[in-house]
Amino acid sequence: MTAVAENTEVGRARLRKEDARLLTGRTRWTDNIAVPGMLHMAILRSPHAHARINSVDVSAAAAAPNVVAAFCGKDVAETQGVLACAWPVTEDIVMPTYLPLAVTEVRHVGEPVAVVVARDRASAVDALQLIEVDYDPLPVVLDIEAALAEGSPLVHEDKGTNKCYTWVFDSAAAGSGGDVAGVVADAEITIKRRYVQQRLIPSFMEPRSVIVEPAAGEGGSWTVYSATQIPHILRFLLAATTGTPEHKIRVIAPDVGGGFGGKLAVTPEEWIAFAAANRVGRPVKYTETRSEAMVSAHHGRDVIQDLTLYAKRDGTVTGLDVKLLANMGAYLGIVTPGVPLLGAFMYNGIYKFPAYRFECTGVFTTTTKTDAYRGAGRPEATYAIERIMDELAAEVGIDPMEVRRRNWIRHEEFPFGTVAGLTYDSGNYEAATDKAMQLLGYDELRAEQAARRESNDPKQLGIGISTYTEMCGLAPSRVLGALRYGAGGWESASVRVLPTGKVEVVTGSSPHGQGHVTSWSQIVADQLGVPFDDVEVLHGDTRTSHKGLDTYGSRSLAVGGIALVMASQKVREKARVIAAHMLECSPDDVEFADGAFRVKGSPEASKTIADCALAVFAAHNLPDGVEPTLDSEATFDPEGFSFPHGTHLCAIEVDTETGEVAIRQYVCVDDVGRVVNPLIVEGQVHGGVAQGIAQALYEEAVYDAEGNLLTSSFADYTLPSSADLPDIVSDRTETPATSNPLGVKGVGEAGTIAATPAVVNAIVDALRPFGVIDVQMPCTPERVWRALKEVIA
Amino acid sequence: MDFLRPQTWPEALARKAERPAAVPIAGGTDVMVEVNFDRRRPEALLDLTRIPELTGWERDERAIRIGANVTYTRVIEELGAELPGLAMASRTVGSPQIRNRGTIAGNLGAASPAGDAHPILLALGASVEAESVRGTRLIPAVEFYVGVKRHSLAPDELIRAVHVPLSPGPQQFSKIGTRNAMVIAVCSFALALDVPARRVGTGIGSAAPTPRRAVAAEDYVSGALPWESRDPIPDGVGARFGELVAQTASPIDDVRGSAAYRRHALAVLARRNLAWAWKEYQCA
Repeated sequence: MTAVAENTEVGRARLRKEDARLLTGRTRWTDNIAVPGMLHMAILRSPHAHARINSVDVSAAAAAPNVVAAFCGKDVAETQGVLACAWPVTEDIVMPTYLPLAVTEVRHVGEPVAVVVARDRASAVDALQLIEVDYDPLPVVLDIEAALAEGSPLVHEDKGTNKCYTWVFDSAAAGSGGDVAGVVADAEITIKRRYVQQRLIPSFMEPRSVIVEPAAGEGGSWTVYSATQIPHILRFLLAATTGTPEHKIRVIAPDVGGGFGGKLAVTPEEWIAFAAANRVGRPVKYTETRSEAMVSAHHGRDVIQDLTLYAKRDGTVTGLDVKLLANMGAYLGIVTPGVPLLGAFMYNGIYKFPAYRFECTGVFTTTTKTDAYRGAGRPEATYAIERIMDELAAEVGIDPMEVRRRNWIRHEEFPFGTVAGLTYDSGNYEAATDKAMQLLGYDELRAEQAARRESNDPKQLGIGISTYTEMCGLAPSRVLGALRYGAGGWESASVRVLPTGKVEVVTGSSPHGQGHVTSWSQIVADQLGVPFDDVEVLHGDTRTSHKGLDTYGSRSLAVGGIALVMASQKVREKARVIAAHMLECSPDDVEFADGAFRVKGSPEASKTIADCALAVFAAHNLPDGVEPTLDSEATFDPEGFSFPHGTHLCAIEVDTETGEVAIRQYVCVDDVGRVVNPLIVEGQVHGGVAQGIAQALYEEAVYDAEGNLLTSSFADYTLPSSADLPDIVSDRTETPATSNPLGVKGVGEAGTIAATPAVVNAIVDALRPFGVIDVQMPCTPERVWRALKEVIA
Repeated sequence: MDFLRPQTWPEALARKAERPAAVPIAGGTDVMVEVNFDRRRPEALLDLTRIPELTGWERDERAIRIGANVTYTRVIEELGAELPGLAMASRTVGSPQIRNRGTIAGNLGAASPAGDAHPILLALGASVEAESVRGTRLIPAVEFYVGVKRHSLAPDELIRAVHVPLSPGPQQFSKIGTRNAMVIAVCSFALALDVPARRVGTGIGSAAPTPRRAVAAEDYVSGALPWESRDPIPDGVGARFGELVAQTASPIDDVRGSAAYRRHALAVLARRNLAWAWKEYQCA
């Protein structure tokens, strides 16, 4: 396979084909869809964080106006199936049974307990109030350290422990480095820090919604519409856990309004709608409210990180020890236990040092489960290493950028085998950093900072640095297997050339806002020499796209994009044979350029892909043995990850009296490899940075002592608005990935991963002369004020 | 739930007299949130948006009378020059969409301790024109707020207008929130200099069960400022003023902020607002 050489479409800032319909909302969001005979479902949720269910009486609800059915977990206990966790990270992991509708016990506020199905949504919601549930409250478990202590109340009594698993990586055992214990004695500097990743709520724009059309009679089939990131995985798991034949299930993810990992999930609500539709024998729709999404859809992060960094007096890192406590919540979602593992290989960041040990313990609590949220493991890792590198710089007494330079992998050292056992294929940290420092005016800002410190300005200036890398292109299937993940990491694509030369592309990577339709069109336009507008991209319906592993982990382009190149090349090679036949020469004498096949040396005669497609359609005169189709399919399983990297810098003014912070400048230079569409990349960077800033300054899911989610609406769970965000100066360097033929790396999570430590580092940098070494996220005015007050008092 | 839509002001008053439990609604930016979250199911909504008498504002020498249906956006655009403090507060309300619908009278009717309009209404000595079938009365703002989300309107009364005195002097409003906009304030503070009277008015928001004036702070600072010379504020006066303001507050701990922080931040806001207003007075 060769890299795409001459091209016209890849690299162009095409406006997105899908935007007109997505931005106006005149499209097929799941909740916009109505199917004949459809009923509406509402869910009664637990008001307790932990309670035994003594009884549920739905009789009054069932008799309410317009109500067709009402039932509870006990009524469907045999048929509702279970929700699967696909990532049992260790052999001895504790895996509790996760039922869609609770039967005997609830373990977090918002857990589904009973449902009403009615002719209209309002009737269903009203009837919920008529359901009587008798609960016996049980002790709540909220604090993950207390949960592990002897005698703690248990989330799952039958398991005998709140510990889910402990997973360890040791560079000495893995053969990728030395033993951390061996560097302790010689360490001239030892820095211990605890960082806390607060709990976050993914906050996709479109709440989750599902419609289930049940089989009409014997031999019938089911259609499930769902606002999901993973229609293919949903179909597989629905079949596997409910015993419904897979070939009888069609899953459609219509246009899906965002996910950020929050829809990388198979949900109780989908399973309950499935059970409800089967029970009433009619299609059932369920669309959640925003507050239901906030208490019930999975949360993200919620990890305590204890780090010990060992270094020499000159700032050279010699070892890193990482211990995590990760809050699983009450149950395990599809990849809950594995999220910390996605970060485990990244705590070394862009640095080279000889010894690394990582240990993560997953803990159950009576809270909403956690699972993948934009970055999944990698933001945590990047935050930890980038924060502690600043601490090292302060300890050594050098500029934090200089301490990074002394430790990072130099561009001439790639490919580089890291202490965490990965091979970074390419990168140029020097180039990205130099560009970012210039764009920010780093030296001038340091001078201004010194002046403000000198004059005791109530508004102090901080400069934050984040030189990040991350791993994308999830994932080589063999690696996933070694990590005990339940599926592979390949992706599929197919290409169909229609008789008129127009092209239909089917992708297994189901988008939810990323712009696949546009990027895929650009790739195919180049590969086949057809106009951008002549390509249609089909996705998200298991009947048209029967094979795929969907969209998450910045994988679509780096895995699905490669499958698409492979499929396109198969079509092109077949067309070459047909063109040669029409041009009456050998295929070896035909070259493809500027959208046409030509005989080498006689460029006047040419045949386009469209000419070949028409010839195939007629099939009057094809070469012997050539099937009359111009279709192909390809599946790509990556051999390695890709590693986007970059340098994010920001300048923040911190009001030392009120604790308010204001981001004055934000500069990012990202290296995401080859860029297919700069506009889409820019959008991903902006959105990602916004979400990273949000973790640093605004967002936090907060529970009270009884386990009620206090932040269950956007009035209290404070997403930033545009008024809260700075102008983002975004630029790029382009070091192509060598791990795939397009040279692409992935950009869906980079901004989120990079931005959080840049912002918090800037705040701490501003306050370091006062003695502040940490501010707990989100760094609200009050938290900043408290951090200052503690050190000044 | 009944939906009552009177076409005239007398009709609205009659409806309210018949059904005192009916909840008046104009922009709906508070009421509908409560209804949508099912925190409140009023037996009737009394829609005031059709009533022409409520949509205007008028001025005499001493005050501007703002009709109950005048939105924040209109206050900003039409009254910004004459009521700068109220316009500053209005700019911090919600989002453009909220400001296009929400009204000052609605802020009063909700009587939330966090309502953005309250502090400046207190600082300026505004009053609420309440009317019922029984007649009309003017309630001074300082007597209007009686408890958390409770006001002193009688069950049959509706807010007709708000009377805001035209204050000859600088005005300031500032607040601290957990984000820039679309958030309930952690605390807020408004200040108005009544130059002819040599008097400083104040209003505190989000830091007590009701919005309230800091009377002791007002008394202290009104006497301590060099009104005649227009000299800079003497050393220590701003800080003392801030302390007195903070002492007047009786904040609580909640998910948005602690009582200790609210007190501290109020002191800073008060000192800064005073400094900004005084600077403007010095330059005037």
